[in-house]
Amino acid sequence: MASKDLVLENATDRNARFERDALVFMDALYAAALRYTRNPDDARDLLQDTYLKAFNSFHQFQEGTNLRAWLYRVLTTTFINSYRKDQRRPQLASGELEDWQIAEAQSHTSDLGKSAEAEALENLPDSDIKRALHEIPEEFRIAVYLADVEGFSYKEIADIVDVPAGTVMSRLHRGRKLLREKLSDYAKELGYSTESKKGKGEKL
Amino acid sequence: MSHIEEIPCFQVLSSVVFIIEGAIEQAENPRAITSHLNNCLPCQSEVAHEQAMHTLLQDVLRRSCDEKAPEDLHRSIHEELLKQAQGGASVTEVVTQFSMTEISIEIDEFGNVEHREIQIEQTHIQHFIDDEE
Repeated sequence: MASKDLVLENATDRNARFERDALVFMDALYAAALRYTRNPDDARDLLQDTYLKAFNSFHQFQEGTNLRAWLYRVLTTTFINSYRKDQRRPQLASGELEDWQIAEAQSHTSDLGKSAEAEALENLPDSDIKRALHEIPEEFRIAVYLADVEGFSYKEIADIVDVPAGTVMSRLHRGRKLLREKLSDYAKELGYSTESKKGKGEKL
Repeated sequence: MSHIEEIPCFQVLSSVVFIIEGAIEQAENPRAITSHLNNCLPCQSEVAHEQAMHTLLQDVLRRSCDEKAPEDLHRSIHEELLKQAQGGASVTEVVTQFSMTEISIEIDEFGNVEHREIQIEQTHIQHFIDDEE
């Protein structure tokens, strides 16, 4: 029986299992830590702390459940508890943006605007993509990163970040929107126009 | 057949995140959204654009965020874990702490204030000794 085996697993076996199963995620977790902390020194420390914590609480991890999601949970919790630069900044209130869906008037965009936005996005350098991610608020950045880079579902993210699923939806919606606005601004600086009237690549 | 409410375009467009996440049933009024989408070409094209932009955004994000942990960081984490494993790892200590403060304030009809504070704390430590072979 699987659960019995787990109980009987000794420290040596468990350590070996951790080394085998958890260390393979180090590169991916490092990239996430870089986006969370926004600098390589903090990212190193965060990754060290994350692995140490994960290692020492590995007996709490249930075998057969998603180890990758569990490690991201340890990473995210560690970051929120110890690495936030702006500790004193109040977290978004729990009822955050309840009315986000009606707050903004949504309207149709022109076809020209659509193709220009896509073209601009495709041509932006990686450094601009990362800069945009770093500039959006932390809660949004974490949700968008977990969903769009790591491919976690909104339900998994709710578990990793420890907020209700509806809050994740609202963060994804607002985060992606902010990100696209930033990227569109950078594209304009580079000479791409996302205005519907202007042709592609036309200098402003 | 029950009546499906008619909703304006902006309500459909503001629910796009649910469609993108494959969770339209989580949106408010999913049946009205589906029915609107079946009959509104501009909204169909907008949703298609949003989905395409989302895929594109994912592509550029994944392309940009692919840093690898430096070799020396791999090594130092590995060494740190070995040290941990050789150290106190044969005993697992689980510490559970509870702390609760109950505050009550009572004001009677004469305006006397009675203030009570009760603090309850409990610490529970369990040691699990792992078998060493």
